[in-house]
Amino acid sequence: MKKEKIVAMLLAGGQGSRLRALTANVAKPAVPFGGKYRIIDFPLSNAANSGIVDIGILTQYKPFLLNSHLGIGTAWDLDRDTGGLRVLPPYMNEAGGRWYKGTANAIYENMNFIDNLNPEYVLILSGDHIYKMDYMKMLDHHIEKGAHATIAVIEVPWDEASRFGIMETDKNGKIVEFAEKPEKPKSNLASMGIYIFNWDALRAYLLKDVQNIDSTNDFGHDIIPMMLAEHNKMYAWTFDGYWKDVGTIKSYWEANMDLLKDDDRLQLYDRSWRIYTRNKNLPPQFISHHAKVVNSMVTEGCIIDGEVNNSVLFSEVTVNKGAVINNCVVLSNVVIEEGAVINNAVIMEHMVVSGDKVIGLVDDGHVYLITEDSIIIE
Amino acid sequence: MENCLGVISFSNNDYGFGVLCKNRPAAMLPFGGRYRVIDFILSSMVNHDIQSVGVFTGTKIRSVMDHIGNGKPWELNRRFKGLFIFPPLYDNDATYRRLGNIAQFHNNEQFFRASKEENIMVANTSVLAKVDLDAAYKHFIETDADVTMIYTRTKDPTGRYINNDKLYIDDDGVLINLGTNLGTEEEFNLYLGTVFIKKEIYFRIVREAIEKGNANYLKEALLVNRGKAKINTYRHEGHVFCLKNAKNYYDANMSLLNSDIYKELFYSHGPILTNSKDEPSTNYKETAKVNNSLIANGCIIEGSVKNSIIFRGVKVGKNAIVKNAVIMQKCIIADNAVVVNAILDKNTNIGKRVEIAGSSTVPYVIEKDYIIRQESEI
Repeated sequence: MKKEKIVAMLLAGGQGSRLRALTANVAKPAVPFGGKYRIIDFPLSNAANSGIVDIGILTQYKPFLLNSHLGIGTAWDLDRDTGGLRVLPPYMNEAGGRWYKGTANAIYENMNFIDNLNPEYVLILSGDHIYKMDYMKMLDHHIEKGAHATIAVIEVPWDEASRFGIMETDKNGKIVEFAEKPEKPKSNLASMGIYIFNWDALRAYLLKDVQNIDSTNDFGHDIIPMMLAEHNKMYAWTFDGYWKDVGTIKSYWEANMDLLKDDDRLQLYDRSWRIYTRNKNLPPQFISHHAKVVNSMVTEGCIIDGEVNNSVLFSEVTVNKGAVINNCVVLSNVVIEEGAVINNAVIMEHMVVSGDKVIGLVDDGHVYLITEDSIIIE
Repeated sequence: MENCLGVISFSNNDYGFGVLCKNRPAAMLPFGGRYRVIDFILSSMVNHDIQSVGVFTGTKIRSVMDHIGNGKPWELNRRFKGLFIFPPLYDNDATYRRLGNIAQFHNNEQFFRASKEENIMVANTSVLAKVDLDAAYKHFIETDADVTMIYTRTKDPTGRYINNDKLYIDDDGVLINLGTNLGTEEEFNLYLGTVFIKKEIYFRIVREAIEKGNANYLKEALLVNRGKAKINTYRHEGHVFCLKNAKNYYDANMSLLNSDIYKELFYSHGPILTNSKDEPSTNYKETAKVNNSLIANGCIIEGSVKNSIIFRGVKVGKNAIVKNAVIMQKCIIADNAVVVNAILDKNTNIGKRVEIAGSSTVPYVIEKDYIIRQESEI
């Protein structure tokens, strides 16, 4: 049975400047998450698990690590002869070279890529969020409603609604109004930055948008309001699973800590919807005689001789005897020496935390980002 | 070692492992939390730059094909050179009916003829060691030997190595005799089953063994040729584990809890490569109590684990006790169950309050996929 032809375009060029030192060397989608993943593994694995085989990755900001992480897409089973995963950086042509100006512009610049695949639908994803979603359910909804565009939305707390793009819908879920970060939100349905468009409709609006020199060439700012104003059929599709935007150091830390909660809303251990990533081939973790490991996630290659509470440890972390870490996210290849006590921190890769360090308090509500040069408090 | 072909030949003697080898050869036994026994020699070959590897699988082929596949984890999925798998050939022809690896080697002579390499390394999988193959190969080349056999000098007061191959050499390391250790001497030369042979000598030895019918196994053929070919030896310094029976296997796993052995086996002369299972990090819950254990990814631990090797995706329930045990992939140990001095094969399910105990000298072995319940729960 032939499936509906859909191409996913994953926007992975963002800097994520509010993540500060975490994105000093890598694009936000390549930031490590959850013990062994990078953020981009979530949308990519969702796409692979949804049965999407054609996926373009739009890169721009510091793409080197991201490129080597993606390779030819083998980890997600996207290494195919036709279609599969393609990395799409900004390029040069007769009109000169230019950067992607906005999210919509990135798609506009790669219209040829999509045209060659000749899909009926285009799925726009971003590499900034942690969630598990079956995009095919969203596509089914899109087809069922006969929509030109469908936007995935999630209910957010009312007091946070003004931080998001908010959809107002009628009783059939048809979008009647869209407001980007409204001061007085009329609804609490926030856009997740996941869109399905009929390709011919989107194509026409991209061509129209590029004529407008005042446009910021952004989906949320320009394309969606324009399509709405011209009475296209646009529907909201409500998602009710776990979804987290890891925009700041604090939300990044919180999202990692969420994995340790008993309800495990992300369902990371659900084998029917696995998250895939590049495999490092490291030996199992070693927990010694003296070690205490409680309510934590620990990854292959770790050697634990000290005390680990409520923490997420990436691969090859060494916690020496007499060291204590509480509520920490420890990136790979870190060594915590004897005597160190670290609370509520995110520790960057390859750090050696010396034994005289006592950092952070368990209950002061701050998160500490520990880097080679400094400790950033948020 | 570009000029050297790798050959792995399984031992046919799996009877010492009982149900552990009911459906798999000893070479495919899960080992060390996330590996199979064969991964050690296969990774060693690849880490020492051997580019073509032939695997003679023996008769229990399914598990070999399932694990090795096209050789991707070892990067042997090449268009040129790479992995070659040789299932056994059966026919009424006289040469096919013979036992031993000589007949298999002879019947696949084309593989050896077609390769450009001038030397051959033949290894079996009943011995686990991280041999410095570069140094051994250098010795083989520099001494211009026809054959170099690798051995280690070992003390064995407890008779662990009875029925293993025993090597007699002169002061220059030249082969005098090769026999079977019966435990008459406490200290002796243990042959590791790994040997370098010049290809031209290899053809001569194999053909002669077939024609004269005086050797079924390569090691017998070498012994027959000790006067005619220049056969010397290379001494390996380091830990060696012979896997002949379930007890050896259990002890070898347990020895990984020694951090020196852990580092030698997993990190010296390159990493051990194996199939990735895409398991998330291991989750230690609030009630977990883990000491002196090696734990792979994807486990969820709520109970107590001590002196044990835990493979990928194992669940240990609340108040469950696991001690001195080897627990293979995807086993479930339910709440309040007790497992002591045992080997649980893959996918075993130990029900609530079930208690299983062997002794450390005779570990209790539970067959793959077994479900064990208390009578009252059935």
